[in-house]
Amino acid sequence: MLRSDQIMATVEMVQKENLDVRTVTMGINLLDCRRGSVEETCALVEDKIAKYAGNFVEKCNETAVKYGIPVINKRISVTPSALVGAGFSSEDFVLLAQSLDRAAERAGIDILGGFTAHVEKGMTETDRAFIASIPKALAVTSRLCASINVGSSHKGINMDAVAMVGNTVKELAEETADQGGFGAAKFVVFCNQPGDNPFMAGAIHGVEEADVVLNVGVSGPGVIARSLKKTIAKRGRENLKLDDIAEEIKQITFRVTRCGELIGRQVSRVLGVEFGVVDLSLAPTPKIGDSVGEILQILGVDDVGAPGSTAIVALLNDAVKKGGIFASKAVGGLSGAFVPVMEDAVLADAVGKGALTIEKLEALTCVCSVGLDMVPIPGDVDAATISAIIADEMAIGMVNNKTTAARLIPVPGKKAGEIVNFGGLFGTSPIVEVRNVNKSARFVSWGGRIPAPIHSFKN
Amino acid sequence: MGKSFVISVMSKDRPGIIAAVTTVVFDLGGDLADLNQSVLGGYFTMILIAEFDESVQKKDLLEKFSAVQKTTAMEALINEMEGDYPVNQRVLPRETYVLTAQAQNRKGLVKCLGDFFYSKNINVLDLVTTSDKDMYTMIFQVDLTEVHSMGELRNELKILGKDQQLQLVLQHNDIYMATNEVGTALETIIGV
Repeated sequence: MLRSDQIMATVEMVQKENLDVRTVTMGINLLDCRRGSVEETCALVEDKIAKYAGNFVEKCNETAVKYGIPVINKRISVTPSALVGAGFSSEDFVLLAQSLDRAAERAGIDILGGFTAHVEKGMTETDRAFIASIPKALAVTSRLCASINVGSSHKGINMDAVAMVGNTVKELAEETADQGGFGAAKFVVFCNQPGDNPFMAGAIHGVEEADVVLNVGVSGPGVIARSLKKTIAKRGRENLKLDDIAEEIKQITFRVTRCGELIGRQVSRVLGVEFGVVDLSLAPTPKIGDSVGEILQILGVDDVGAPGSTAIVALLNDAVKKGGIFASKAVGGLSGAFVPVMEDAVLADAVGKGALTIEKLEALTCVCSVGLDMVPIPGDVDAATISAIIADEMAIGMVNNKTTAARLIPVPGKKAGEIVNFGGLFGTSPIVEVRNVNKSARFVSWGGRIPAPIHSFKN
Repeated sequence: MGKSFVISVMSKDRPGIIAAVTTVVFDLGGDLADLNQSVLGGYFTMILIAEFDESVQKKDLLEKFSAVQKTTAMEALINEMEGDYPVNQRVLPRETYVLTAQAQNRKGLVKCLGDFFYSKNINVLDLVTTSDKDMYTMIFQVDLTEVHSMGELRNELKILGKDQQLQLVLQHNDIYMATNEVGTALETIIGV
């Protein structure tokens, strides 16, 4: 029997609250593509991606039309390239990057992730060659995203790698100075990088995964924001406490997650590919009404960054996890709230007002799922300071057994408060002030490792 | 069991109607196979299917219901079913969709959608309408198994909505099951 109340509630989520599936990401293992030469390897890489992802976009679109739920992004993640290209030189890795870019273009994919190395404990010669290739590789490609895992709760933080990636960030920005340093927006540094995250720029296909897997990222924060507004208007602010709000978020997340998993499993079935996980992350876009910052405002801070912001993000992150985990058979990836400054109009606005600082963002990342994401900083911030900011962020992840990341964009020629605009999904924001620059070089130059915390020794 | 009858009953709503109807079925040795009832505007309506011995005739049922009708002012319509009642009759077709339509209340709204479905040879499985102030809401559950292009159908609905000032949302029934039925596994819903 039709339940009109339930049906209309779901219709409202689709029609008025813009329920969608934020991303369906196909993970493809490329380890079996390695051959004696870089040319042969690249040819096999392109063949394998074409074999599995040739009709991926078409099937996602068909499923979206069938179910009436838009699938916003269709992406590919691959095995970390430093493993696929073991023994490659930096020039070889640039060729591999171009090969991956071509494969993405042929599959009709706008972004491919996995130009990646994991160096949390130490670096091989290949890893060093790989890291050295990143600025050029991202400058000559348009669809590729790169990431480096420099720390983990189990192994500690590789400070030699942290020092290197500070320079990588600077070089990436300078190589793409004519685009406002956009190259740095396609590079992210991780602690505890998951192998099943479907969201870019940090999506990879971990070596622990099956040959080909489909992971899904659920709908964005807009659904939760509008649903909370509706609930507060209906029940009256005076009749609600924060635990009621948390309960409401759990219930919305349940519906959103079930919807995302339904679409993901259907696409998996049609493509004959194993279903992986649902990532519960709330990923904002620059579109008005699709903002994590807006949820913070609804819950009571006038500007994001005001005292109380961290507590609200903690509540939000926890409620999203609880609702989503109950809904889904397989939760994974990052699964929490993202706070990417440039991609979230309310966060960017708060930066412009001086309410949101890099220090407060760092505090938010202690309780949310990722880290300092899409943070534009002045172009003259030195590499050692960037490395030190990254080290701080990695330490939060390492000690708290969670993923943290840093995607910092030093915008060449611009100072704090000036605007940078990458357009589209990458968004716009005033540049965030970095205080205490040029004061961390002695720390970064130590190199070596920050040992893993005592609570990682559980064997 | 030999034959099945479909019985439709209407009465002003009050306690005891189900008891009266099922007593008739029970007294004739019948077994209820399926039943659906609702109350609208104070009137009770029920349709049921019951299986009886080969010896039970339509006239036996009519006689029994006539006796009840005298005391309850209930109207009954009885027909013998052709063939057996399929056990999986209530399993929805694979491509079951729900179309919700909302508009300012006016005459002819249900007819408008009914005509549209008929012109496309689309079978309506269930229909619920509600009215709130001036807004009229219709929820059609429809079988789109015979629709060859969902893209085309969605475009035609877009045109219909614009022409008739209707807000139309077409969703697969699986979406409602996934978002509302906590205990149903997604594999079951999509039929893996």
